[in-house]
Amino acid sequence: MSHENVKERELFFGPAHPGSGNFCVKLMVDGEKVLSARADPGYLHRGFEKLMEYRDTMQNAVLSDRICVFEPLAWNLVHAEAVDGLMGVDVPERASYIRVIMAELSRIQSHLIWYGGMSMGIGFDTGFKMAFGYRDYILDIFELITGGRVYPAGYICPGGVRKDMPDTAREKILDVLKRIDEIKMLEKFENPTLLPRLKNVGVLELKDTIRLGATGFVMRASGMRTDVRKDDSYEVYDQLDFDIPIQNDGDAYSRFLVGIREIEESIKIIRQALDELPKGRLKPIKPKLSTKIPEGEIYIRNEVARGEAAMHMVSDGTGSPYRCKIRGPSFLHMIPVLEYLLKGVQIADVPAIYWSLNPCPADMDR
Amino acid sequence: MRMYLLFTGALILVLQIWIGDWMKLKIVPRLLKNLIKKPMTVRFPNESIPIPEGYRGEHEYDKGKCISCGLCAKVCPNRAIEMVQSENGRKYPVIDIGKCCFCGLCQDVCHTGALKLTKNLVSPIIVDSNKKEKSGM
Repeated sequence: MSHENVKERELFFGPAHPGSGNFCVKLMVDGEKVLSARADPGYLHRGFEKLMEYRDTMQNAVLSDRICVFEPLAWNLVHAEAVDGLMGVDVPERASYIRVIMAELSRIQSHLIWYGGMSMGIGFDTGFKMAFGYRDYILDIFELITGGRVYPAGYICPGGVRKDMPDTAREKILDVLKRIDEIKMLEKFENPTLLPRLKNVGVLELKDTIRLGATGFVMRASGMRTDVRKDDSYEVYDQLDFDIPIQNDGDAYSRFLVGIREIEESIKIIRQALDELPKGRLKPIKPKLSTKIPEGEIYIRNEVARGEAAMHMVSDGTGSPYRCKIRGPSFLHMIPVLEYLLKGVQIADVPAIYWSLNPCPADMDR
Repeated sequence: MRMYLLFTGALILVLQIWIGDWMKLKIVPRLLKNLIKKPMTVRFPNESIPIPEGYRGEHEYDKGKCISCGLCAKVCPNRAIEMVQSENGRKYPVIDIGKCCFCGLCQDVCHTGALKLTKNLVSPIIVDSNKKEKSGM
């Protein structure tokens, strides 16, 4: 067979591609055009759902960090809420506020990673370095409050938080939020760089988002005002005032803009939560070895940076859950949505579309 | 050389005003501000960012305080702690640093404060063999 007869070629985007993460998309290409795409997940499967059946609640809280590498605290919250719901524990109000502050900080740093990854995908290296530089300031806060820069080791645990915030945390958070505000300027200045690469690329209609099962910011960028924090409020979100940013175009640029606006909203939420934080000190939560989870079943959903995260936990009355099903938001974004969006695009647009969906291979494979 | 650079800079500026691309011009005060701004990073081996209290670093084990209850081995999510028989008949914890995820549950569960996590974040990676013997691990 001579080369002239070969029209279609298979191109691997990942897992060795610098912009793909532990994930692979097999593209059938004809020249520069992508004919079809097939997602190939499974490079980061660690079997959390099974592991959680053999550990008790506090150990599972530590384990729940690792579900998504980019936002461990948000997944801590999902797990803690599921166990709290089963055990019928009332979380102290102060702990609830601290949970919200940490979850929102986690959302900001996750969006900054997204900003960085997106900039790297379209060849705008300054954005990548700026975003990761600002993210490190938030990691400094995590280090102060939880004791670890990236992994909080179950800081948000069943029953509240593992230890109270130190007194110096408030000033530090406000100082960092002031600095993060600058990232908005970057977006304004770099419009000439971003617009030609992202505008009208990877357009997703609203009816397709519903058909393909997209949630969170992907839906919001297509014009649907949906947010679990408002629709099915948890913790103290119903007492806080914030907006849900939406865009109507559904392209990569809209998704990017929704991300930037969400950083602003998260900053607003944290400022309010810090003002309304109840006084007093929380007692540190120590791990108990013989904690029993009452028999029952619960489905908890939360809004994390990537969309709707959920956990379905079934308990049969022993110390560890009988079954724990984790719903990662990236699963549907990275398999049906990505395969649909990549059909018929140019190869150069593949990283831009890929990163505009804010992928996390870790929470997809679990 | 410098004259040449200045000339090109001025030319680009004039061209941009002429084309009317004001968006790019707005970055000039920003660039001047960045000239005097401190960098985001520090020069690590010479200086480092302060490590706060409560950082979960290398373990510090006090054999004298240990009552051999074995709770730390039970609570460890990674099963990095093993209780090993000593010469005096009691069991003491041995920590496998390679398996440890530095969650600090062993520190929280220890009633006597024999096991603590310190602020030392460098040596958990490089285990000093002399120190190992000294701490009884």
